[in-house]
Amino acid sequence: MTSTDRIARLVALVLAAGSGLAAVSAEAHGIWFAQRAKQLALIYGIGADDLEMVKRLPQVEKIEAYDADYHPIKATPRVAGPVVLIDSEAQPTVVAAVMPYGIWSRVGSGEFEKKTLQEMPNATVSTHNIKYAVSVVGPLRKPLAALPGQTVQIVPAGPIPAKLGTLLKYVVLYNGKPVAGAKVINDMVNDPDAKEVETGADGSVTLPVRNQGLNVIRAVYVGPSDQPTLYRQVEHTATLAFTLAHAPE
Amino acid sequence: MKKIATALCCLAVLGLAAPALAHGFTKPQHGGIVQMNGETLFELVAQPTGVSLYMIDEDDPVNAAAMTAKLSVTAKGKRSDVVMAALKGNQFFAKGLKLPKGASVGVQVTDKASGARYGATFIIK
Repeated sequence: MTSTDRIARLVALVLAAGSGLAAVSAEAHGIWFAQRAKQLALIYGIGADDLEMVKRLPQVEKIEAYDADYHPIKATPRVAGPVVLIDSEAQPTVVAAVMPYGIWSRVGSGEFEKKTLQEMPNATVSTHNIKYAVSVVGPLRKPLAALPGQTVQIVPAGPIPAKLGTLLKYVVLYNGKPVAGAKVINDMVNDPDAKEVETGADGSVTLPVRNQGLNVIRAVYVGPSDQPTLYRQVEHTATLAFTLAHAPE
Repeated sequence: MKKIATALCCLAVLGLAAPALAHGFTKPQHGGIVQMNGETLFELVAQPTGVSLYMIDEDDPVNAAAMTAKLSVTAKGKRSDVVMAALKGNQFFAKGLKLPKGASVGVQVTDKASGARYGATFIIK
């Protein structure tokens, strides 16, 4: 490393520290489960943007289904045209997925590039992004468990109500424990630009259930780097999806 | 005055209009218990000789012969998967099966041709 490189890196570190490194969020997109033609599908996107999941499927590290006691059920993705469907060997109560989304870095307010700190040593933000999705597809007989592989997970702290508008407390878990400072929005599909609410000291937020239909709650938690030579933070983006049934017609 | 009368007539007509998307089947047809998943009806019927499942999809009874069906019964921390036999019409049957109180029963019906899966979960009371 030349002395110029060293100075650039030092400046980058100072800038990063000054800009509140731990809170820098790189990417608001997420993954979630939703119904497509009555089948369970894995979606990538934000808001109404149901983006290309098929081309991202190789990045998906884990797809699991669970029964009512949270014992695993084998689940496999199946490409059906432009959609990724989830085939489980039995009717699940919960499904979950993990999708690492690469290392992204930028200098100042520049565009994020898919580069590590080694490739962009003067980066002011360098982050490893990981997406998680959990969907409740059957009635919960016991509180939703911390699921394997879900480093960040949103769990409802009480029963999922039948009607929209009812307050529901959610707890955001990081490595299975409640975490403060996770940024939560109530509906990443229909209200993706909503003001984020931070979890309190007990890791919880309480929000009204927004939709008499699909609800996709999103939490973003920026945690420490596990490989500081490659990136300075890990941005975990987790969703919890569930559906409130509409009235019989 | 004429305008008000016309408006009132219009409101009356709107009020009388039948819902365009009414669905007929949301109730048990065979004395069992029903679980809806969207517009798909699943009915479980406990019988002395076993358990029957009937499925109606968007008001059309499915052809059981074109499907496979499985019940996943989770009780006392253990899950057992039971493959059902297709009988006449939209009926599937699991001979000798009993559903214990408190059990969670996942129903999964798979279209043999398309691989499409349909399902719901019952809690037995």
